[in-house]
Amino acid sequence: MADSRVAGYAEALFAVAAAEGDSSVVEDELFRFAQALRSDKDLGSTLADTGLPLARRLQVIEDLLGSRVSAVTTALVSMVVGAGRAAELPDIVDAMVERGAASRNKTVATVRSAVDLTADQSERLAAAINTRTGRDVEVRVVIDPSVLGGVVTEIGDDIIDGSVRRRLNQLRESFR
Amino acid sequence: MTNRWNRLLAAPLLALLALLAFAGPASASGESVGSCMAEKLEELIEESHGDLEEVLHELHVDTSIGDHFEKNCIEAPSPILPETNEIIWGGSAFLILFVLMVKKGFPAVRGAMDARAEKIRSDLDAAEQARVDAQSVQSDYEARLADAKTEASQLIDEARVAADQLKGDLAESAEVDIAEMRERAAVDIESSRAQAIADLRSEVAGIALGAAERVVHASLDAEVQSRLIDAYIDEVAGTDG
Repeated sequence: MADSRVAGYAEALFAVAAAEGDSSVVEDELFRFAQALRSDKDLGSTLADTGLPLARRLQVIEDLLGSRVSAVTTALVSMVVGAGRAAELPDIVDAMVERGAASRNKTVATVRSAVDLTADQSERLAAAINTRTGRDVEVRVVIDPSVLGGVVTEIGDDIIDGSVRRRLNQLRESFR
Repeated sequence: MTNRWNRLLAAPLLALLALLAFAGPASASGESVGSCMAEKLEELIEESHGDLEEVLHELHVDTSIGDHFEKNCIEAPSPILPETNEIIWGGSAFLILFVLMVKKGFPAVRGAMDARAEKIRSDLDAAEQARVDAQSVQSDYEARLADAKTEASQLIDEARVAADQLKGDLAESAEVDIAEMRERAAVDIESSRAQAIADLRSEVAGIALGAAERVVHASLDAEVQSRLIDAYIDEVAGTDG
């Protein structure tokens, strides 16, 4: 039931984004906001708190996104929160991003890095993943300071970990 | 029993009756001097055909007759030989009494004596049997006592052996327990030592890694981060050599 609801909302968001023009930009903005929700539990709980007036929660969204993302992105986030599904927004966005990539015959590659990748690095990484796995991917970057340095790429169930954190963990394991 | 007593009483009664019956004739034979002389005098009167005067005359003339009377009547009887009639009466009574005693008294007395002897013999046999029984009981008691003593001795020996065995077992068990405790203590000590080493190593590793992480974090500027990303991309593409 939850999966079908998430898929339904994702399909709706993708349809709206596609109808409004360049859906990849909206997908990227929504993806970054979803990652922010995952990392900031207070923000997630605030938006999901039905005890707060909806206007107050929508105002929070407007304050956070209004000047940084497209109006379509802000409207879609407000729609999901207004529907009382703020807690499911990250999963909805993930499904929407996958849906958009699938519409372009691509697969989403979630890339975790301590710093943002340049456009050139993203393109080269997508090409490298294509060379290695044979799949066309769309790189979605998630800023994760715990990685310390390097990159961790997740493509479905496959993980390519080249982070400094992994090397430190390996070093820690070698001490035991 | 009653018949025997009757026989015993009959013998003296018959003897008493015989004495009473023959006492009269026996005492008559002991006639007095006067009667003796009267008897002699009557004999003289009969010889004189009843002529008393003639008899008195002869007595007066012939004094020897008087002497004869005195000699025959005053003479003392023999202290040894009784009178003839006394012998007859006495002998008859004795014979009768003897026959009665032989026929009635002696069998009764012998029967009583035999019965008495039989009873005494029976009592002696019973006493002997009782003595034998008592001796048997005593022997049995002594045998039981000996068995009891032997059994008690065996029990004491067995208890002593069991005590020694238990003592040995306890000592052996104590030694085994001590050995196991020592072994466990050694294992525990070794385990504690290994754990301490592991903890120390982990602590040192944590400290070292923390320091390394701080150093790495401090050294990860934008240029280094970019190089790391480029190196990762080359590694994924398989062009890093």
